[in-house]
Amino acid sequence: MKNWKIALTLGCLCCILTLAICIQLKTIDNTNLTVSKTLTGNELRDQILKWKEKYDKATKELETSEQDLEKVRLQSTQNDENSINKEEEIKYDNTLLGLTDVHGNGIVITLKDNNKVKRSNIGPLDNIEFYLVHAGDLVEVVNALRNAGAEAISINGQRITNFTSIYCAGNVVIVNGEKISSPIEIKAIGSPELLYGSIRIPGGYIELLEETGVIVDIKKQENITINKYDGIINTQYMKNE
Amino acid sequence: MIFIAIILGCIIGIIVGNFAPVISYTYSAYLAIAIIASLDSVFGGVASSLNKRFDMGVFISGFFGNAILAILLAYLGERLNVDIYLVSIFVFVSRMFNNLAIIRRYYLEKFRNRRTKEVKETENNTK
Repeated sequence: MKNWKIALTLGCLCCILTLAICIQLKTIDNTNLTVSKTLTGNELRDQILKWKEKYDKATKELETSEQDLEKVRLQSTQNDENSINKEEEIKYDNTLLGLTDVHGNGIVITLKDNNKVKRSNIGPLDNIEFYLVHAGDLVEVVNALRNAGAEAISINGQRITNFTSIYCAGNVVIVNGEKISSPIEIKAIGSPELLYGSIRIPGGYIELLEETGVIVDIKKQENITINKYDGIINTQYMKNE
Repeated sequence: MIFIAIILGCIIGIIVGNFAPVISYTYSAYLAIAIIASLDSVFGGVASSLNKRFDMGVFISGFFGNAILAILLAYLGERLNVDIYLVSIFVFVSRMFNNLAIIRRYYLEKFRNRRTKEVKETENNTK
């Protein structure tokens, strides 16, 4: 075998090889940014949809079984005066627990993040945190409302019950295990004048929020409807004495 | 001679590759394995040409055959849900290291021989 022939073949094959490597590099450069990212994104989206479907099914089942329970209860208490009283009692207890839709006069408070303030136009000594609604703000407002005698409170449709927690989860607030974010609407049923007066008290928390930059809107309203707590209350450790 | 040809081929390949079209992402995994296989063949060819045992038929069939076989095995592995391509990469890369060691030893020996010759010549001159 002559030496130049070997060199020629090796050169040709190297040419093919580098060509393939170039094509490969180009493809990887092009696709890594778009395809793989959208692939993982699609997978996550699929999972979310699946879980949502499951959740919807479960809530539907819960609703139907609650209606069944109501029917059974009505049937069993039809002819007995004693049990009719008991039924009334159960209804009242459920109302107190927040398991029924209720309506009445009260106030509606809307808290909004101040979107006009951005990192680009904020002052050097100012903090963007002041312009956002935090979980702690909600806790303060709910406390103030309870203190003024609010009988039912909900935050963005989530009823405040005995078992409710309000806590921060990054850029959202978790109430009753559900994510809520700005704008936040707090509905409260009680004496509108009393609620409004006590929430608007000078030096109160709402005034502080307004001063720091959160957009606050408070309205007295007649016949507010507050939805029931749509989860299940499970007790495991507490027993009656 | 051989290395000049290889470098020339590489340059032509890069120039042509800059204008080559982009292939779809699914096939790029197979192309990567084919590249590893043919890279192994090229190193093998260089090593055998240094040892004067170069066989054109073996070289060309190895270049294309190995690449095609690696692609087929990778495809089979994907079908069977076994990562066969990992094994083929392992085999090719380990062979590549072997061939690189042969090339390295060849040039190291050449270098040493030349040195000892020079030393002898200088010794002769001084005598």
